[in-house]
Amino acid sequence: MERLRFRTLTIFVAFLFTFFLFMAIATLFFVPRPHEILEALKSEEMVYSLKLSLITASISTLLVILIGIPIGYALSRFDFRGKSAVKSILDLPMAFPELVLGLALLLLFGRTAFGDALSALGINVVFTKLGIVVAQFFTALPYAVRVIYTTFEGISPRYELVARSLGYSEFETFRKVTLPMAKDGLFASTIISFARSMGAFGAVLILAGGSYMNTEILPVTLYLNISYGNIGMAITSGIVLVVVSFLAILIFERLEGGEHGPVRG
Amino acid sequence: MRGVKALFFILVLAGAVLAAGCIGSTNASEDRKPFEGQTITVCSGAGLMKPINELIGMFENETGVKVEVHYGGSSEIFGVLQTTCGCDVFIPGAWYYTEQAMKKGYILNGTVRNVTEHIPVIAVPKGNPKGIHSLEDLAKPGVRVVLGDPKAAAIGKVSKKILEKNGLWDEVKPNVVVFTPTVNQLLIYISTRQADAAIIWEDMVTWAQAKGKIEVVQIPREQNSIKTIPTAVTTCAEKDGHVEVARAFNEFVANHTEIWEKWGFRPWKG
Repeated sequence: MERLRFRTLTIFVAFLFTFFLFMAIATLFFVPRPHEILEALKSEEMVYSLKLSLITASISTLLVILIGIPIGYALSRFDFRGKSAVKSILDLPMAFPELVLGLALLLLFGRTAFGDALSALGINVVFTKLGIVVAQFFTALPYAVRVIYTTFEGISPRYELVARSLGYSEFETFRKVTLPMAKDGLFASTIISFARSMGAFGAVLILAGGSYMNTEILPVTLYLNISYGNIGMAITSGIVLVVVSFLAILIFERLEGGEHGPVRG
Repeated sequence: MRGVKALFFILVLAGAVLAAGCIGSTNASEDRKPFEGQTITVCSGAGLMKPINELIGMFENETGVKVEVHYGGSSEIFGVLQTTCGCDVFIPGAWYYTEQAMKKGYILNGTVRNVTEHIPVIAVPKGNPKGIHSLEDLAKPGVRVVLGDPKAAAIGKVSKKILEKNGLWDEVKPNVVVFTPTVNQLLIYISTRQADAAIIWEDMVTWAQAKGKIEVVQIPREQNSIKTIPTAVTTCAEKDGHVEVARAFNEFVANHTEIWEKWGFRPWKG
């Protein structure tokens, strides 16, 4: 009887707060009139913003995965001096506001010795679309590393040891045994990185400038139009971002939490 | 058990004494302060934070009112006013927004007070690396200019107006490396030397100038577009039943010119 009450209570809390959150998100969809949304979706600014968001988020996601895989693998399989420091520093951007990351990146890539050296090579980050990718990359990287690390942790080293004992090199083992087994987890981290990149705002605003129809991605469109008092456009930006996030999380849950999750060795 | 009852009685008695003390205190406060217990909401441009914070502190001490304040870009707080009627007193960073609010019926007639001048200046990094001494210098080759977005920031509208008025917009525009949605970004980019010049409100550079990060180049009066910072009571105050206390705060803000001067603003002499 006591157990039944405990069970009922916990389930009730889960449903209650899910309901509140759902209602908050749902109002985005119900407040504006449909023709307002359609009008906003067709506007030049929204089309520009959506295209730029998709392109930069795709690029930053690709980069995050390419770099996240070796990082995640190293943290999972190898012990080395400074490992805990590496882990902590990689996790930092998850713990502080995005604006801090944006300011830090501005200082690094701006008018400093490092930034000037990059400029001399023709690579400009501040106030450019490349700045968007850089900001999104560093925003999304910690999340991807976490998921990838967890994925590799969930694969028993036994499979790798067997492959090695049968003559495979370390790299061959990684490429032919470990990566295929990590497929679902890697796809999940791709999804979470993309969603996180699409939603990056503070870092992009500071590093890339958040310029109208230049370095304007969807979160900036939302912010700009709130500032203009153009609520229809602002809400529509929010709706697009919610739809993207919803699809991303749906796929993520399917791959990460479902029966096709990482192989448990 | 008797001990527990005694303890309980003592606690109840102590609570009663404390409650009586609070009630007495409240009565005393009501005798001394005219608007005790009321709350008003002020919406203010983010660039006005320092003088407004000080004025609010003074007003709360004097009147017993609780003042809640919402800071944001001028167009942002204008959005707040329109969407939620969430401001009893509206203090944007430029006259333009009060004018728009009046046109849309959000301002109570007869309550608009111009408080100070709001003066655009050219801000350059310490040392003035590109030798900027005038508006015309903003058009020199190789100068990295940052300006507010004319659609989003009050300073952006004014900057564009100034440059157009002086026939420089087409020449300066190619030098603009970013149009920023917020005025604060201008300060960040100049202070960190990401840009060589910006047009920004004079009051915003006072602190950075004092810290030795920014230098100021004045724009000659006849070339400039000097605005005012107005304060006004909104029709929302009427709906909330806060008109009298909102009026009192409005006058308080307009009359304490010494606070505005302290924070780098020049009183409006209309």
